[in-house]
Amino acid sequence: MESLIIEGTEDSPSVKFDVNSGQFVISGKSRPENTSKFFTPLINWITEFYETTPAQKDQPDDKSAIVFVFKLDYFNSVSAKYILDIIFALQGFVSKGNKIAIEWHCAKLDDDMLETGKEFSNMVNLKFDFIQH
Amino acid sequence: MASISTAFEAHQIMSEKNTLIAFTGHFDHLLTTLLLLNIKNKLSALEATTGIDRKVYSILVESIENVSKHSSQGDQTQNIAILLLSKSDDKYTIVTGNHIMNDEIPALKEKLEKVLQHNQAELKQLYREQILSKRTDDNNAGLGIIDMAIKSGNMIQYEFKPLTEDTSFYLLQIEINIQKPVLSEVEV
Repeated sequence: MESLIIEGTEDSPSVKFDVNSGQFVISGKSRPENTSKFFTPLINWITEFYETTPAQKDQPDDKSAIVFVFKLDYFNSVSAKYILDIIFALQGFVSKGNKIAIEWHCAKLDDDMLETGKEFSNMVNLKFDFIQH
Repeated sequence: MASISTAFEAHQIMSEKNTLIAFTGHFDHLLTTLLLLNIKNKLSALEATTGIDRKVYSILVESIENVSKHSSQGDQTQNIAILLLSKSDDKYTIVTGNHIMNDEIPALKEKLEKVLQHNQAELKQLYREQILSKRTDDNNAGLGIIDMAIKSGNMIQYEFKPLTEDTSFYLLQIEINIQKPVLSEVEV
């Protein structure tokens, strides 16, 4: 499967889902004009990725194969729904027996962003690593 | 009609009220993007030490998107919206205003009242229910206002000023304390 790379803009995030390194990063700002049009391909890509990747539980390596990095400076409430959908898709990946590390990055003083990350983590019952810069 | 004296008057009022941004017109996506870029730079310069700029910015985006949703409806020449952002020593104030059909008011009022009566913990529960609910064509379906209420510590006021037989002007005001008292409640 090919990596998914989308250049960021002033209103939409940058996406680097790198299948070779196993690092999936979404960063920048998110308030796209058409939120569904932007996020649906991402969610479909993740779903296809884990459907076509052999389950990690059948492999000896104990490391997390995938590191998913949320490094969003800002997202609007419409995007929030889709970001949660991405996290639900990751939950599907985990329930198939895969290990995944989820990093939630935010600015040191951005308590709202930190709080949202904690909420999302609770909603899907997946552990996040919170990294404040 | 606009004239030198009305422009000067408007300027004087804005200066007195410590206005950072005053904009009136149609809020389409491109304009909003440019406006937000300008505001973001302004805010981060002002609040480099407090970090409150991110909170103000994020509430501002929701309030502008709330306006632009209404801005696209009805007669464009009549549908002039307004955005004001001002800063005093202890708080930021955002006010938006836009035309609204009178028959939309009851539903909107109900939605606003539902949010305004809640405390922080209840708002978070409401946010959770809303974000997990099925998406409608309305897309945002009230999540924006809940989000603004949580981030501002529910310092929201609204008013409907009658314009014509069928329309009113819908004003929404959100205040954001610079001392960040909201955060201590969130931590609990």
